[in-house]
Amino acid sequence: MVDEPRIPRPVLAELRAIAGPEHIRLADGERAVYARDATPLFHGMPDAVVAPADADQIARILRLATEHRIPVVPRGAGSNLCAATVPLAGGIVLSTARMNRVIEVAPDEMLARAQTGVTTQGLGDAAAEHGLFYPPDPGSRTVSTIGGNVATCAGGLRGLKYGVTRNYVLGLTVVLPTGEIIRTGGRLWKDVVGYDLTRLLTGSEGTLGVITEVTAALLPRPETSRTGLAYFDSLTDAGGAVADIIAAGVIPSTLEFLDRKCMDAVEQYAHLGLHSGAGALLLFGDDGDDAVVTRSFERIAAACKNRGAIEIQTAGDITNSEALLTARRCTLPALSRLGSLTILEDASVPRPHLAEMVARIDAIAAKHRVTIATFGHAGDGNLHPTCVLESASDTDGIARAERAFADVFRAAIELGGTITGEHGVGAAKLPYLEERLGTAQLGLLQRIKTAFDPAGILNPGKLGSALTGQDNDDRSGQR
Amino acid sequence: MTGDQAAQNRPIFDTGLLSRCISCGFCLAACPTYALTGDEASSPRGRITLMRALDAGTLPPGDPTLAEQASFCLGCRACEPVCPAGVQYGELLEQWRGYQWTGRRRPPVVRLLIFAAERARAHQIAGRLRGAAHTAAAERPGPALMLGCFERSLFPQVSRSALALAPELAAPTRQGCCGALHAHNGEPERGRQLAEQLGAQLPAQIVSTAGGCAAYLSAVLGRDRVMELSEYLQARVTGQVRIGGRLARVTLQDSCHLRNGMGVWREPRALLAAVAEYVEVPGAGRCCGAAGTYSLVRPRDSRRVLDPKLDAIEAAGVDYVAAVNPGCLRQLRQGLRRRKSAVRAQHIADLLRMAADSRPPS
Repeated sequence: MVDEPRIPRPVLAELRAIAGPEHIRLADGERAVYARDATPLFHGMPDAVVAPADADQIARILRLATEHRIPVVPRGAGSNLCAATVPLAGGIVLSTARMNRVIEVAPDEMLARAQTGVTTQGLGDAAAEHGLFYPPDPGSRTVSTIGGNVATCAGGLRGLKYGVTRNYVLGLTVVLPTGEIIRTGGRLWKDVVGYDLTRLLTGSEGTLGVITEVTAALLPRPETSRTGLAYFDSLTDAGGAVADIIAAGVIPSTLEFLDRKCMDAVEQYAHLGLHSGAGALLLFGDDGDDAVVTRSFERIAAACKNRGAIEIQTAGDITNSEALLTARRCTLPALSRLGSLTILEDASVPRPHLAEMVARIDAIAAKHRVTIATFGHAGDGNLHPTCVLESASDTDGIARAERAFADVFRAAIELGGTITGEHGVGAAKLPYLEERLGTAQLGLLQRIKTAFDPAGILNPGKLGSALTGQDNDDRSGQR
Repeated sequence: MTGDQAAQNRPIFDTGLLSRCISCGFCLAACPTYALTGDEASSPRGRITLMRALDAGTLPPGDPTLAEQASFCLGCRACEPVCPAGVQYGELLEQWRGYQWTGRRRPPVVRLLIFAAERARAHQIAGRLRGAAHTAAAERPGPALMLGCFERSLFPQVSRSALALAPELAAPTRQGCCGALHAHNGEPERGRQLAEQLGAQLPAQIVSTAGGCAAYLSAVLGRDRVMELSEYLQARVTGQVRIGGRLARVTLQDSCHLRNGMGVWREPRALLAAVAEYVEVPGAGRCCGAAGTYSLVRPRDSRRVLDPKLDAIEAAGVDYVAAVNPGCLRQLRQGLRRRKSAVRAQHIADLLRMAADSRPPS
């Protein structure tokens, strides 16, 4: 860790001149904290951390980096789960922490403009002040940044009814690796001039450009919002209920499930008094007009009852339902109470195959002798099977978990699903990219990457990079 | 390097505590120092990464970032209630400072304070001279009021008010320091020793007017041995706090350890709401920057933490802000005085006594 700085001194001097000396971190300890994000097992020491103030500074930094072939890794809150912000090839971590202002909320146009470092919650709060609502709801919303949400096309608990981040991005300001600042889209719902770069950049994981400003579409805040829960013997039963609910014509705003292990972990943290004997929990929610919500709750409850729900609770007051949702968002970190290493996955399958996928995960866990706790967004077929291991030094366990997850991905693809529903590819899923996309499409991805980033400086070793052996060698078992 | 060897010979951290963190980052939003800087190093997750680097020997013990971050942390433990993984950050910080602040590496002002806190007899005499509460020993066998070390002479009326509100409490002068000061500033073993001594001096239930002391004592002696005053009083309050013919508008500044460590925050609010018009100020649960020795060790940062809080308190148009810990009381009073504010800071015991002494409105 005490290696020679790999960025030439004159370049460091220029970085200081651009961002101001107090916004550059070079000391070993200062850099070490940026060597990882929320993804376990991935680790890479940056050579410098820079926190620029605006798009102009970022443009100057990127021009410098392109000129000197220095990797640049944009980073919001570092709460992503695909190692998208781990500087595997060293270089500069570009923190967006200082760009944290909501620029405007325009109620008459139902949109907001925010700098990239505003938290998802911060944007939601600003919208709420005008009676408006920003629907995407990733689990880490209290800390995750809107720029990071766009870069990973974050999903969350409201995906089924409201869609995900990409459905709310109207326009972006982006700095290209070569230093140009472009604005894609804008304030209009209808605008078909040129390729849809807004969509291309949404989910580009910081490999094509650095997002500096987001124009987000908003909706009117729903009049009522309610949450309820149903207990089942098994996740498979709960999966059956999900299919029936949607077949009955109800699109709930939230339809989440947790298996027994997840319920135990969440209960330890949140003390909600969850059922102690049930095998699975289905959390459902809807919002809108009071009468509509009441009617959809009746139909959801009937579907759950039909599928043999052990118990159905429809929590009335909002505090209660917020507590439930908060607890659900905390499932992943809460699972670490069961073992200090949790590796989670993000397979997504078409909804009719949900129950089948759950059954396959169980079989895979048994085959590879690993503990897998499963939770996820049942409504949109997005599952988070999570492998819980005793410690990061359990190399044998980690190897078994990796084999199990390779099987999970294959099962998902066989069922017409995908390897990541909402967490992203980053470095974590890169080895599976070709299997999912095919050679032709992967080649196109790489040509797009080169068109944006000819020097290959932006977030190397992630989505769009050439697959080289080096990507895996850089993975460190150190947590 | 000898420091490295020392690090290898003696484990600095309880490994089980350190491995709990999965770096999800849910703590970032709760951390006051991360809010100031936006820098991962001054977040709970970042500090745990630093602790791990120290533990693993990848950063040398003399690393300047380690020293800076161990000191920059307020130790408010706001990261604990929001941590789904259940990381015991407060415990880890004690262990970290126990290592980081040994010998000459301890800030001089901390050395001075610990030296002063050790002078138990002097505090006892000063407390008597300044008129802190006192009841003869062995007179009342039941629950006892903890008098604290600095609170006795700094705010002697607080213990008198507490005794007026709960006259059954014993308040023997012969009682020492709770050890929180030591534990939070690099001497966890000595802190524990003092807490146990105090537990022996006050063998029944201990009632404290200092949230920080209560939380530390309860961590050492057990939660059932210790109660903070508002928790102890429950609904036992009478009268009203009035100003200019109307009910006073009152808010509360939480004590961090009382809220984050002991889970006590509803109780003082309920008491204040019973005797005044209670106004919740946004951010009341966040640290005021007093943070034990912090306001003396890092006065500039302490004020940066305090200022937005004072803005919010003034904007809320309250008459009083109540504190449940002497350190917070001192910090709020000084801050409000500096800006010549009309808002007054009072200990909750004094406000409740004011209410009890007032004549009920006719």
